Amino acid sequence: MGKVTIELPSVLDAVVDGNRTLSFDAETLPGALAALTKRYPGLAVHLFDETGGFREHVLCFHNKINTRWLESIDVPLRDGDTITILQAVSGG
Amino acid sequence: MSVTLILGTAKGAFLATSDKDRSAWTVGDPLFKGWKVTASARDDGGRYFVATASDVYGPALHVSDDLKKWRQIEKGPAWRQDLDRKLTQIWTLHPGPGRFYAGVDEAGLFASDDRGETWSPVEGLNEHATRSNWSPGNGGLCAHAVLVDPKNTLRVWCGISAVGVFRSDDGGVSWHIRNKGIPAVIEDKQHKDIGCCVHGLVADPDDANTIYRREHNGMFRSRDGGDSWQRIENGLPSWFGFPIAMDRRTRTLFVHPMESDEYRMPVDGQFRIYRSRDGGDCWEPLTNGLPQDGAYMGVLRSAMDVDHLDPCGVYVGTTAGTVYVSNDTGDSWTQLPCTLPRVLSVSVFNDG
Repeated sequence: MGKVTIELPSVLDAVVDGNRTLSFDAETLPGALAALTKRYPGLAVHLFDETGGFREHVLCFHNKINTRWLESIDVPLRDGDTITILQAVSGG
Repeated sequence: MSVTLILGTAKGAFLATSDKDRSAWTVGDPLFKGWKVTASARDDGGRYFVATASDVYGPALHVSDDLKKWRQIEKGPAWRQDLDRKLTQIWTLHPGPGRFYAGVDEAGLFASDDRGETWSPVEGLNEHATRSNWSPGNGGLCAHAVLVDPKNTLRVWCGISAVGVFRSDDGGVSWHIRNKGIPAVIEDKQHKDIGCCVHGLVADPDDANTIYRREHNGMFRSRDGGDSWQRIENGLPSWFGFPIAMDRRTRTLFVHPMESDEYRMPVDGQFRIYRSRDGGDCWEPLTNGLPQDGAYMGVLRSAMDVDHLDPCGVYVGTTAGTVYVSNDTGDSWTQLPCTLPRVLSVSVFNDG
């Protein structure tokens, strides 16, 4: 069980009552995300689509690693890890 | 009497409030900044509802009792995982009479019986026998219009682009296509009575059988609850357009015609609202205060509303972010003191 930080983008500010940097005790990345959406149930619809996976343009980084590069997001967490939610930005 | 507008745009909602004469206006800072605001409504208990959407973060429904503090509904309309559908936005909110309905994209209708806290799919429409043949229009496959007969709330109409109008006479259990007389935009190979692209619906408040239908292919009226439709285009400069609104006190109708489905701009660069005082038999252009030269902005289907006061106020938001208001049934217009993002939805609420 590690104490991890989750960082959220400003567009989701109202969904988490302005608390965009949050701390959770979690053993795995899915466990941390479950704790996040348990604390803020309204967040789930914004992060995950009808398949249960991340929405197409929502990115989740574990420390510096884009979790889309991983075969599975079921990765263990360690004390001090950071999970960052971002929106994919493209075009100009 | 003063009124409040919820102006839903591509980047947030803006509240505009008037003085008692509806001639001086104040426009506030954005609510739901960064989010598309696709629909808004107020129920009989005075609770406000706003639908938001994001291409990244999806849709949501929010409630407020004072237009200041908002709360996101946790269990809003949603498709079951096994249906392989995505709910991209809420197009319309219809909080009564009867059940509270929400029409959504990917097309479907949901209903709530607890002031919007929880929602259930209206299966009879959502799983209609023709569903596998429904095709999206330019705006998506969306259920965007709901009418309810105030004298018999079991009678419900729903408009879906580009499918057509459905009517239920049993509270939403069974639904029947009501497109007779409407030319199809894309004829379906199997079901010849769908493929009609309804753009907007309003009904006479005292006679739900009299329905006005803004259609991709023209302007239509039904006197029999949608069983049949007839063209009513006398005086209109084109057959194409999206929004339609009716003053329930005088039955005056308002539309915004545009040049064809190919161009979707005001005809000849003249931004005009058209009015009918005789149930759609004749239409007249309204120009006083509206830009009549080089004006090529559009009005989206949910971006016009009326306040039903005496005289009727009319409120129109454009794709250029301008908002035009009239406090005299459209005889004269002024522009609100703002230039907003693309206006997606306009709802007006009388403040008493």
